[in-house]
Amino acid sequence: MPHPIPDAVVADGHSAEARAERQRQRSMQTRRGVILGEKIAGWVITVGGLMVIFAVLGIMVFLFRVVMPLLSSGEVLGQVNHRIETRAPVVWVNSDEFQTLGLAVENDGGVTVFHVPTGATVLREQFDFSADVSAVSGTIERDRIVLGFTDGTVRFAELGVSNTATPESRLPEGLVTLDARDRTAGGQVFTRVQTGDFRTLTPEISLGEVEQISEHAIIALDYRTGGTVERPTIAFASVDAVGQVRVSRSRVQRNMMTGQETVRTTTVDLPALPIEPDVSVTQVLLSGSADRAIVATDDGRLHRYDLRDLDAPVLAESRRATAEGVAITALTFLGGEQSLVVGGEDGSLSVFFRLQRSGAPTADGFELVRARDHAAMPAAVVDLSEAQRDKSFVATDAAGNVWLVHSTSDQVLFEFARSGEARGAAQAMIFPRGDGVLMMAEDGWMEAWQVRAHHAEVTIRVLFGRIWYEGYGQPEFIWQSTAGTDLAEPKYSLVPLVFGTMKAAFYAMLFATPIALMAAIYTSEFVDRRVRATVKPMMEMMESLPTVVLGFVAALVLAPLVEEWIAAVLLGFFSLPVGLMLGAFLWQMLPPHVALRYDGFPKFTLMALMIALAALSAYNLGPAFEQLLFQGDFKGWTTGRIGTGTPFMFLILLPISYLAVGWAFRRFLGHHYRALLGDRDRAAAGRLDALRWLLMLAAAMLFSFSVASLLTAIGYDPRGGFVDSYQQRNALVVGFVMAFAVIPNIYTLAEDALNAVPGHLRAASLACGATPWQTALWVVVPTAASGVFSAIMMGMGRAVGETMIVVMAAGNTPIMEWNVFSGLRTLSANIAIELPEAVKDGTNYRVLFLAALTLFIMTFFINTIAELIRQRFRKRAFQL
Amino acid sequence: MTDIKQDDIPASGAAGVAAVAAREAVPGRRVRRFSADLSAVGEPALWGFGGALALGIILIAGFLFMIAWNGVTTFWPKPVEVVELRDGSVIAGVATRGGPYRVGEDVLVRLDDTQRAEITENGGMASRTLYKTANFDLYGDDFRWVSDFEVAGTSTPADFYYFERQQWGVFVGRVAGLVIDGQAQPYDAATMVREQRRARERFEQIRRLERREIGAINHRIDQERLAMRRAALRHGADSDRTRAQIESSEARIAELRAEFSVLQERVDAIRAVDRAHRVQLEEVGGRQVDTELSQIVRYFAANELSFTQKLGIYVSRWWEFVSTEPREANTQGGVLPAIFGTVAMTMLMVVFVAPFGVITALYLREYAKQGRLTSIVRISVNNLAGVPSIVYGVFGLGFFAYTMGGTIDQLFYPESLPNPTFGKGGILWASLTLALLTVPVVIVASEEALSAVPRSMREGSLACGASTWQTIRYVVLPKALPGIMTGMILAMARGAGEVAPLMLVGVVKLAPALPIDGFYPFIHLDRSFMHLGFHIFDVGFQSRNSEAGKPMVFVTTLLLLVLIVTMNATAIYVRNRLKRKYAGAQF
Repeated sequence: MPHPIPDAVVADGHSAEARAERQRQRSMQTRRGVILGEKIAGWVITVGGLMVIFAVLGIMVFLFRVVMPLLSSGEVLGQVNHRIETRAPVVWVNSDEFQTLGLAVENDGGVTVFHVPTGATVLREQFDFSADVSAVSGTIERDRIVLGFTDGTVRFAELGVSNTATPESRLPEGLVTLDARDRTAGGQVFTRVQTGDFRTLTPEISLGEVEQISEHAIIALDYRTGGTVERPTIAFASVDAVGQVRVSRSRVQRNMMTGQETVRTTTVDLPALPIEPDVSVTQVLLSGSADRAIVATDDGRLHRYDLRDLDAPVLAESRRATAEGVAITALTFLGGEQSLVVGGEDGSLSVFFRLQRSGAPTADGFELVRARDHAAMPAAVVDLSEAQRDKSFVATDAAGNVWLVHSTSDQVLFEFARSGEARGAAQAMIFPRGDGVLMMAEDGWMEAWQVRAHHAEVTIRVLFGRIWYEGYGQPEFIWQSTAGTDLAEPKYSLVPLVFGTMKAAFYAMLFATPIALMAAIYTSEFVDRRVRATVKPMMEMMESLPTVVLGFVAALVLAPLVEEWIAAVLLGFFSLPVGLMLGAFLWQMLPPHVALRYDGFPKFTLMALMIALAALSAYNLGPAFEQLLFQGDFKGWTTGRIGTGTPFMFLILLPISYLAVGWAFRRFLGHHYRALLGDRDRAAAGRLDALRWLLMLAAAMLFSFSVASLLTAIGYDPRGGFVDSYQQRNALVVGFVMAFAVIPNIYTLAEDALNAVPGHLRAASLACGATPWQTALWVVVPTAASGVFSAIMMGMGRAVGETMIVVMAAGNTPIMEWNVFSGLRTLSANIAIELPEAVKDGTNYRVLFLAALTLFIMTFFINTIAELIRQRFRKRAFQL
Repeated sequence: MTDIKQDDIPASGAAGVAAVAAREAVPGRRVRRFSADLSAVGEPALWGFGGALALGIILIAGFLFMIAWNGVTTFWPKPVEVVELRDGSVIAGVATRGGPYRVGEDVLVRLDDTQRAEITENGGMASRTLYKTANFDLYGDDFRWVSDFEVAGTSTPADFYYFERQQWGVFVGRVAGLVIDGQAQPYDAATMVREQRRARERFEQIRRLERREIGAINHRIDQERLAMRRAALRHGADSDRTRAQIESSEARIAELRAEFSVLQERVDAIRAVDRAHRVQLEEVGGRQVDTELSQIVRYFAANELSFTQKLGIYVSRWWEFVSTEPREANTQGGVLPAIFGTVAMTMLMVVFVAPFGVITALYLREYAKQGRLTSIVRISVNNLAGVPSIVYGVFGLGFFAYTMGGTIDQLFYPESLPNPTFGKGGILWASLTLALLTVPVVIVASEEALSAVPRSMREGSLACGASTWQTIRYVVLPKALPGIMTGMILAMARGAGEVAPLMLVGVVKLAPALPIDGFYPFIHLDRSFMHLGFHIFDVGFQSRNSEAGKPMVFVTTLLLLVLIVTMNATAIYVRNRLKRKYAGAQF
């Protein structure tokens, strides 16, 4: 491009030469666009390249971030304390799910409704109590209570809060502002919600008639509602001052035709408690369907009544629940009524399960079993109250400590201490949504804590340790994240899943490693180039087969086949190697020139033919084999109903004993044998060698059988261990098909490693007179060992993370047994099954992310180690 | 040091034997004879090694053959057999498979002595056949096992038809009568053929009206509703603009409703005609089913077909398979949406994976100094390749769908909340997830391709004064392109076959709408999609009757395998073609 020459330059009168020189200099400068392009490209490519590191780190960090809240402790979001204007000691307190209204019942019949955030009194009602309240109890929702009096009377009461919506236009006149959020009028509290309407909370308080149930003061009460929607049950238990326990149960029966409801009430006096006269009852507890009652006494004993037949109540069991001389001072069921929390005078908090046990020393076969002891409180436990939605409870002690405890995960979530201003005994409750605790002292001092307990049901111990869950006989590793009812305990042990992953990977590697390695060695060392050029791409193509296809074939084709022909499959494990060895010994008998001529592809075809023959014979002999060893019913045998462990142990020990016999032969007779062979020509030597092999096989069988019989004689039976009852979708099938998926991986990498061994090593070895077999075994394989090992590691990484095959073919039962014939559930399959259903940011969601993180870290280590080994191997191979 | 290539060595197990034989040929030499030291040759071990390789090949070949055989033969029409059983009952069905099985004790007890003797002679085994008796609406099951000893006689009567119905699957039986225009008529083959074709045309017409036109109206009504909400969110519920919007939208909705009812009337009119054209089907036992003619997708007299007719049915079934939507809980009909979903997702994935993969390879080969950093990058690449695919699915769900998608929803689609638009699994997130999963494949292949470009070419370019980027852009990349393309196609093959992560990030068993359609903005990256691999899983494992779905699974499997093998083959083809094209550029 011609550059315009400034006039000034022309005017200066410089020569044309100088102009040309300047122009050349200018054109030698790189254009700006090129420099810019260069910079941008360099920048983009560097950032892009480093993105890979960020991607790996990013995945890990993201998974961590989702998982972390599982293990973080809870936080206290807010706290209020106020003195409520009460006129007599408070005996009961309730609140609504929005933590807005509190209702306190006082000893003199007064009920104060207060605003929790400000402590302001919203409403006050006065009832007339004929005597002092001596006992009080309520349902789990705390809105229906029963009050027991010193004169032997009881009264039922309702103490709830109803929640309705009011449009702005219909708000009542004369609203009083309580705080920034709430306004009140006529005992109601109005709160603006997102839709623009007002949430209206109305206290609902009513008191029933006086009912005389005893001559003596009532000292303990319990009140429960339960049953089904069609047949609700209301039940209450009472204990009077002389220790008489009574249970009343009302069942409402609805007539389907008329809609009429009839109430049938049954009241029974329970059999007398087996206690000394100076021992008194402290607590009574009744189940929702009123089929069992538990009475606690101040000598530290629990007495359990079986009320399944209410007309004939039985005292089923009495047992000590606290240390000697320690009274039981508080008692409650956890949600679901499976666990019983016992609070002692010494501050102890223990949990009991009612378990059915054979040989239990009780009247009904059940037994109260101490499942766990929580951390003890500093002083006597005076009040226990359970959460409505999970397995936590709040405990209050005499010193004013209020603890929120999660029972399943055995952790104290929050430890509160009330301020010094409160006087008298206190009680505490968990707000209905489980997001706070309300404590009320007798003198009207109220404290409320707003909390957020992050995934209280999960701790490290829950994830990786044994936990004693409700309904189980002992602590166990269980995965059961969802259940039919809300109140069932979710069970989040990752151990069965990790176990399943290991089991699947183990069986897969058991099949894959030998086949892949042997095939790789054969391909790299013993076949010519052309065979290799077709075989290797074929194996590589296998690598890209979708595993969903393999899984489908495993589950719908292979699993039923294997189940039908299990005996033939078992036989196949022996007929295949024996058939191949037979082929080899027959081949040895061939005259050398024939063997030499047909070496290579014809021999390889013959091997394939031998395999087909062996498979065919396994198929044909399967039933006879089953008849011979397992009385014709292998699946029946696995359950342990028929036969002994000998036949299976014989099969398992056969390869080992063959190796042992082979070693012994070589060690003790090898020299003589070699001398014996040395005098013969090749064909004759081959015949002798075949004879030797047959004898060794027979010896191995004999040896194996005698060892197996010996094991049976000393009482060992594999059934119940790594063999047990047969399921169609089992580890054998999974292992086999997963091996199919893993073999190409291991094969390709191992073959690459073997191939990378420099040719001059082979040449040197062969030149020294070693046969190709000796060269492969003693020169090539040891050199490539680290590369081969890294191939195995990579294969294992794939087996650990494989998903679809396991989802489809493994049965997905999270059990922990090594049984080859049972199903399993792996981490990956578990994620694939449960994550689509998991609620975002819920506990299960985060635990599944933890499962993913576990997988990620497992494979991260396996792959990093494999890669490091491979890099080292490569360096060494180049140095050779 | 002389480097001896492996090829120069006689690589065969018999080399040792050859040496032995040669030595044996020399007489009279009394050196220690190694002649028959068979352990040095290791023949049994060699057979074991070779056997392992042979076993691997047999398994692969057998596996592929099984899939191909089952997939190819599924659509071939098979005869309907009428089987009379010894207990007097008669069943009609298509024999699907069979084989020997062990007869249970409870069955043996009920047999007569000769049969029992026969079974005992066979070692307690007998053979049986699985008949597809179809007629699910009458029998409550599609299949029945019949043991050979139960059978009194079989025949293949000419008047037995095989009906493929829109609902309830297949019916096997006779035609008892026809109702044309409300008039009952005896069965006549020509009338049936003519009327069935017309009925299918009506059926297609109704479907077109419902899908296209009524679908479009519903879509527009939804758009108007969203427009009202958007206005309320943007300008406040009480503002004038919102009120104006509501007014215009409601007017539009009223118009659309009117259009809707017109269309609905047309549909109802066709339906009424449809109901007047009926057919009575009769199963082998004489029970009848009355159904509309339009419900019959395809029918044929299974025992009377000539070879060409069979071929015609075979081809038409394949065409239906690749060109229509599934019916009967995916166990019948076609897989068009799944093919579409698989291809669309894979293409989208390539768009993401290509630049990232190539850039990383360029960094590793052309820009970075080989050292600790590149070593870490390589380990990272390797780790990306080794991380289980399900972990990517988890990451995709948590990060792409919930975190990124949730943010997009809040910023751009607040009017649809709480219904997520991008904040759930969808084709965009699925392809991003798979891009992450397949990027190592592209990186490794591209790196190989880059390293294959001779150093001299780079140096030549640089010596001519080109900058690094110019060298890469005009010299290195074109040369490496075939290899890069191969990597890309291999990544596609890998991505197309992956199912586990998709289960978490947007694949569904039945997608109501394709990711690309005629409504603005035409490409809907937020939509869920169907996928061939997931289709296999779904039909095989989550349908009411996995046995009835099995043929479908085999055919889908075949299709998926063909797709993946084709991609692999294309990779090779493209590589070769490009190699030829750029061959002239070589120095």
